[in-house]
Amino acid sequence: MADLTRRFMLKATGAIGASMLSAGGAAAGTRGSEAASPGGARVAAGASPSIYVFLNREEAAFIESAVARLIPADAKWPGALEAGVSNYIDKQLAGAWGAGERLYRSGPWRPGTPSQGYQLPFTPAELFRAALGAINRDLSQAGTPFARMSSEQQDGYLRRLESGEKNLGGVPSDVFFEHLWQCTVEGFFSDPVYGGNRSMVAWRMVGFPGAYASYYELVDQHGIHIDRAPTSLAEDANGHMIINPGIPAKSP
Amino acid sequence: MSRELTRTLAAAIASVGVVGAMHAHAQSPSRPPDAGRGAVIAAQGVAPRVPACAQCHAFDGASEGSGAFPRIAGQSTYYLGKQMRDFASGVRTDAVMTPIGKALSTEEVADVAAYYATVASPFLPLKSGDPTLVKRGEQLAQIGDESKHLQSCDDCHGPGGAGEPPAIPYLAGQYAHYIAFQLQMWQRGFRKSSPDAMEYIAKRLDDRDVAAVAAYFQQARTATPPAQPKE
Amino acid sequence: MAKRLKPVDVVTIGVGLTGSLMALELARAGLKVVGIERGAPRFTVPDFQSPAIHDELRFSIRKAMMQDNVKEAVTFRNAPDQSALPIRRWESFLPGTGLGGAFVHWNGQSFRFQVADFIYKTHIEQRYGKKILDPELTIQDWGVTYAELEPHYDRFEYLCGVSGKAGNIKGAIQPGGNPFEAPRARGYPTPPMKEPYFGALFREGAATLGYHPYPQPSANLSQPYTNAEGLTLQQCVFCGFCERYACEHFAKASPQTVILPVLLKNPNFELRTNCQVLRINLDSTGKKATGITYSDAAGAEVEQPADLVLITAFPLNNVRMLLLSGIGKPYDPKSGEGVVGRNYCYQTTGGATVFLDESINVNPFMASGANGTMIDDFGGDNFDHGPLGFIGGQYVGAIMTNGRPIEFHPTPPGTPKWGLGWKEAVARHYNHTVLLQQHGTSTASRLNYLDLDPTYRDAWGLPLLRMTFDFPENDIRMSQYVADKVVEIGHAMGAKTVIRGGTKRPYTTTVYQSTHNAGGAIMGDDPKTSVVNRYLQCWDVPNVFSIGASAFPQNGTYNYSMTIGALTYWALDAIKNKYLKAPGPLVHA
Repeated sequence: MADLTRRFMLKATGAIGASMLSAGGAAAGTRGSEAASPGGARVAAGASPSIYVFLNREEAAFIESAVARLIPADAKWPGALEAGVSNYIDKQLAGAWGAGERLYRSGPWRPGTPSQGYQLPFTPAELFRAALGAINRDLSQAGTPFARMSSEQQDGYLRRLESGEKNLGGVPSDVFFEHLWQCTVEGFFSDPVYGGNRSMVAWRMVGFPGAYASYYELVDQHGIHIDRAPTSLAEDANGHMIINPGIPAKSP
Repeated sequence: MSRELTRTLAAAIASVGVVGAMHAHAQSPSRPPDAGRGAVIAAQGVAPRVPACAQCHAFDGASEGSGAFPRIAGQSTYYLGKQMRDFASGVRTDAVMTPIGKALSTEEVADVAAYYATVASPFLPLKSGDPTLVKRGEQLAQIGDESKHLQSCDDCHGPGGAGEPPAIPYLAGQYAHYIAFQLQMWQRGFRKSSPDAMEYIAKRLDDRDVAAVAAYFQQARTATPPAQPKE
Repeated sequence: MAKRLKPVDVVTIGVGLTGSLMALELARAGLKVVGIERGAPRFTVPDFQSPAIHDELRFSIRKAMMQDNVKEAVTFRNAPDQSALPIRRWESFLPGTGLGGAFVHWNGQSFRFQVADFIYKTHIEQRYGKKILDPELTIQDWGVTYAELEPHYDRFEYLCGVSGKAGNIKGAIQPGGNPFEAPRARGYPTPPMKEPYFGALFREGAATLGYHPYPQPSANLSQPYTNAEGLTLQQCVFCGFCERYACEHFAKASPQTVILPVLLKNPNFELRTNCQVLRINLDSTGKKATGITYSDAAGAEVEQPADLVLITAFPLNNVRMLLLSGIGKPYDPKSGEGVVGRNYCYQTTGGATVFLDESINVNPFMASGANGTMIDDFGGDNFDHGPLGFIGGQYVGAIMTNGRPIEFHPTPPGTPKWGLGWKEAVARHYNHTVLLQQHGTSTASRLNYLDLDPTYRDAWGLPLLRMTFDFPENDIRMSQYVADKVVEIGHAMGAKTVIRGGTKRPYTTTVYQSTHNAGGAIMGDDPKTSVVNRYLQCWDVPNVFSIGASAFPQNGTYNYSMTIGALTYWALDAIKNKYLKAPGPLVHA
């Protein structure tokens, strides 16, 4: 029955995330319900929280709290947690990228110079599993799990990971941190089809209009203010979104 | 003022940035667009020269479904305003719209555009087109046709043809007859807007493909959009 | 035992830009041509359509159009005294794969090289004397001149429909164009692209400093255009998904838009995709190729005999193919002998980040791959290097191609690397920041070279290519000099803050810089210092030609696709008019 420990809903976190989502999305007033809207398909507020297929309970607790510190929510805009970045990370680790898609995986394995880049044998899934296991063991020995630390303590711990101070089951902690940060940025800014960037909040925050992009008429109107709702590659004319985090990285 | 109208007004004001920054050759409106005044023009016209928009386009912008007059509800203020300027300048020509375009002032155009851009309007129940034509239209809309050197319409016209505001109009829910007519206008050189895009593409569509995209887009959107949000 | 097929006249190893140009002309000349492509077939419809193609994660971050490192990678080290290790994921350069090759997902930046580039050694030594050269530099003349290539540049630009404004027509400088460019017979096929806001801001800033801004020549067209093959390109819509992506609008010049529809209809041409060429086979003399052996999609080995073998596989793969096949003497950096792998070069890039006032909406997402405004005042040898102590130069410009947020979220100095401060800075600066590009020469050095790795192998069991490279000190000095000029321009644009660019050592494979790998199978007049002659024919095996930027003895200031097209037409001319009439060495050294 080991599978069941990996598949569960974080109901509490999901509810908090969703309510922050509708508060943070500026024009949410007209879209509190699941009404379809042109040019701005929405995952409905109060939508189902993340169902994790890779991360176990302890791993998910760390990831959720960590991404919430890496890109926090503020009064104006939701952060990575509310945007579903932990869901994005879970689905990536469970999918082809996590399994080592497009990664040269033959040895021998030697530590290289910084110019030579990543030289560890771990796939991303193996890397996260090893590192998260080491982190959770480390913190449970020390007494306080990451999720129960104060924000300042969490930031301090993340900075120590970032500095490379720890070895996490064979993964230098700075290598793990770099992976975690890169995944967080991806999960925040990628198309919502991958399970993050819920309701395209990150795109709204910076003003990126999204996947439909035809600007011939506007490009020479210098300084024009573009205020349309962003569009995902996964939405149809009625504003319905189809989420598919399993899109592989190979050419059509 | 009603809450609805306040919201549409706020939305209309938010769009001023777009309207104001438009082509250098258009005069900037001297005041922010007023959707309330636009509603009045839509209902009553501007005596003595300008008939009420509602006579052809209906007060809710859905026209009457035959396709003789386009659905204009929910098109962006930028696009609606540009069409009026194009009628005035001759980029587009139409026996009815050309004198209207010439007669309306810059402010009146902005007001009417603000009104119709923000009005919520249901899609009329219409007979579905021939299913084979609709299927072919769907293919052209979503995928394109390599042999005809045609990319998908949705590349520019947005998800399912819902438009890419502000500059590119929605096609989804537009009337088949009207879509077909406009493509023919491009084919024959009578409509001169976006020539490098639309005239080029229109000329590569044969009669059957014109009918196909028209039939497809008419039925492509069924959910009633809310009042056009601006965020 | 490999299955042996019936012989054909010509085989091309790769069906990208050079392969499809070669194949079309030779099939039309009546030859039976087989194009072997390791990747899959793909076409504008349906494969390049949006919205699917506008997926930053898939194409920019996961590199969907690129060679799969699982099957074939490259090993790398900065210097010969290090151990090379595999580049396990691409970052610094992105070798493509698939029908059409890298010419599908390039940016369309369409410059010519300059007159001096082709006679670089002669020119530099005449102007400055040998003493200006650091001792490890190995610059060489190409063996072909700009004047000889000019008609071929013209032909290739008109095949692609390049949009631009000429700066020098037959020696007469044209206002609005680049006054430093090499002389052209005529203007560009289509007018320049519309200028985005970032380009206009750059132009104003550069002009106040007395420089000469001009519109970047672009193979993403400004208007519909039909080329000599009867193929039509459409107008670019500035979608902001150009490099690493294919074009959905038929607006970017690629084999798919400018050649393949005609080539694929020619009965003399046969395309085989998903076939990995393993080696060129030689006869017992070692001086004649008998054809190639490849592994088909199901893994079966197939031998394709051919009279003429064209290596058209992208510079790195060209060199590897020569090494794997035993054609030419491999270069040994210790003795300085040998030629295959010698003079490997890259591109010296970088640039400044210019933070503007928040009232200025840059709208970086409205951009095309080649819609820049630039200056050549610091390019090549356009300025006096005498007092400066280095050679080479860079063009400078505002050439933003996108606002895709995973890749583009600039923050000013002092911004925390993550957290609330980072997020606020990203939101504040995303739409008010311009990236300036410095892009220029990569000087050949005896320390930088390619060979076969002794340890790591590809999925077919063959040794990976090993790359030994660092930026020569000369190029560092050059780039640091230009970096100061770029900062001045940034301030002239009204910047509130400028982050200075400039290249530093060591070269790292972990950050994207350019996919303009060059050299390794260089052209020249002397078989002791070149692999191919001036017609790109192998000195050692005359029925093998190696076509592409592998032939460049060093890399010039500019993006090199137009120069590759010109060289390909030049070599084609020699093959059709000389070689086919009398097969054998075209140059007797």
